[in-house]
Amino acid sequence: MNIVKLGKKKIMFLHIVGLVVFFGAWELAVRTGLLPHQVLAAPSEVLNTFILKLTETKPDGDTIINHFFISFRLALSGFVVAVGVGIPLGLFMGYYKALDMYMTPIFEIVRPIPPIAWIPIVILILGIGMGAKVFIIFVAAFVPCVINSYLGIKLTNQTLINVSKTFGASDWQIFRTVCIPSSLPMVFAGVRTSLGASWGTLVAAEMLASTGGLGYMIQMGRTLIRPDIIIVGMLTIGFTGALMAKGLSLMEDKIAPWRSKQ
Amino acid sequence: MKQSTKNRLYLLLPILSVLTLLAVFTLLSSQEGTLIPTPIEIWKRFWDMMTIQISKATLPVHVWVSLKRVLTAFVAAILLGVSLGVFLGWSPTFNALVSPVFEILRPIPPIAWIPLVILWFGIGEMSKIFIVFIGSFVPIVINTHSGMNSIDPLLINAGLVLGANRSQLLVDVALPATVPAILAGIKTALSGGWMCVLAAEMIVAKQGVGFLIVRGQEMGDMSQIVVCMLVIGIVNVLMSTCLTKLEGVLCPWQFKKAK
Repeated sequence: MNIVKLGKKKIMFLHIVGLVVFFGAWELAVRTGLLPHQVLAAPSEVLNTFILKLTETKPDGDTIINHFFISFRLALSGFVVAVGVGIPLGLFMGYYKALDMYMTPIFEIVRPIPPIAWIPIVILILGIGMGAKVFIIFVAAFVPCVINSYLGIKLTNQTLINVSKTFGASDWQIFRTVCIPSSLPMVFAGVRTSLGASWGTLVAAEMLASTGGLGYMIQMGRTLIRPDIIIVGMLTIGFTGALMAKGLSLMEDKIAPWRSKQ
Repeated sequence: MKQSTKNRLYLLLPILSVLTLLAVFTLLSSQEGTLIPTPIEIWKRFWDMMTIQISKATLPVHVWVSLKRVLTAFVAAILLGVSLGVFLGWSPTFNALVSPVFEILRPIPPIAWIPLVILWFGIGEMSKIFIVFIGSFVPIVINTHSGMNSIDPLLINAGLVLGANRSQLLVDVALPATVPAILAGIKTALSGGWMCVLAAEMIVAKQGVGFLIVRGQEMGDMSQIVVCMLVIGIVNVLMSTCLTKLEGVLCPWQFKKAK
């Protein structure tokens, strides 16, 4: 609700001022000793550590590239399975009342339990290997996929359904050609939430039980009291998350272009 | 007539589904040499934990310890988050100045802050509260800001025509119109905050439900883990129910629309 509009140049200028002040104050606070080195590393040191960690495996056992790929592969596998199972389940639950009535109670019992709370039981049953982590990420990503696909179908405009009925469409045809396309924006919103949830949960899983990955790296940074490593890890995690979200919204523009025009 | 019998049959399905869940659970847990506890064992463990102290506290005390952390952080996050969000929406200059920094920090999951926060505040109470604060601050700011941005221009113009000055516009028009968005943010923040306190407690704590569930893992005590998971879920549901009630009180117009 901006009454005053700023020019593009002025906005650009303010952006730069904001960033310079933030990083400048941070750098100064560490350089002058206001904040001790055990607590915070200056931006320049963080950058240095990042460049070093591209090739150096010390002190946490692997290069940042390898940590990244370990995490990325895990997050993606859990996420893909969750999307593959969750979206169809949600769509069918939204369309077929019997399935809705049958699945909803089970779902309502499982839904409020945060994915992180699954970690201990999964570790006891599946160990700390790849399977356990993929399962936890699956739980995290599954719930939003189901809820949003379900809602997407439920929110289908009744007029559209009536029109197709009048034209003699079968149940299945209505589902396939009316309900699914109209639910797509909601489905995508769910997938976006899922992606964020799976990335965040992965970090937690790696911090609690792992021998590699970005979550493990920042946890090691804490044990070794190396704030520079922690911050490099945090920024990598944040940047990757943002990048994945960006990729997803590009995909959305391709698959459901009507939404971006709204 | 036929339709109504069909509807009655549908009503049986939820009961059937819960029964299936119980049956599968009992079947899995009653197998030879399995780790999974039976529903009866879980129920017994639950009553044990209500009275027996684990790490100097019974189950309700652990829940209260976690809740207290969440609520403390939450009050701070609401106060600071709403003011920052309103300010971001109100002043374009401030928005342009702060948004790049916010955009860099925003995508970092709150859980990834845990190691750094432990370096800052040690493993005491403050570090947990701070993690929950980060986890709930971000959604509150984002929602408040986008609520400010999507106020109906009609309302603003009406205010202007009636001769409101800038501060009147903010207090009498913009703020009330943003309340639903703020509440939506608070809702997201609350379940996010509950998850953050768990994660923080699972990594380092001496009390709290997160601690309790990890203790269960270390002892290989499955019943304790399952009891904790269920309690965590129930608290989550209770908190969001309370908030929905509050929403009905604070902005009844929105509530009616949703119905």
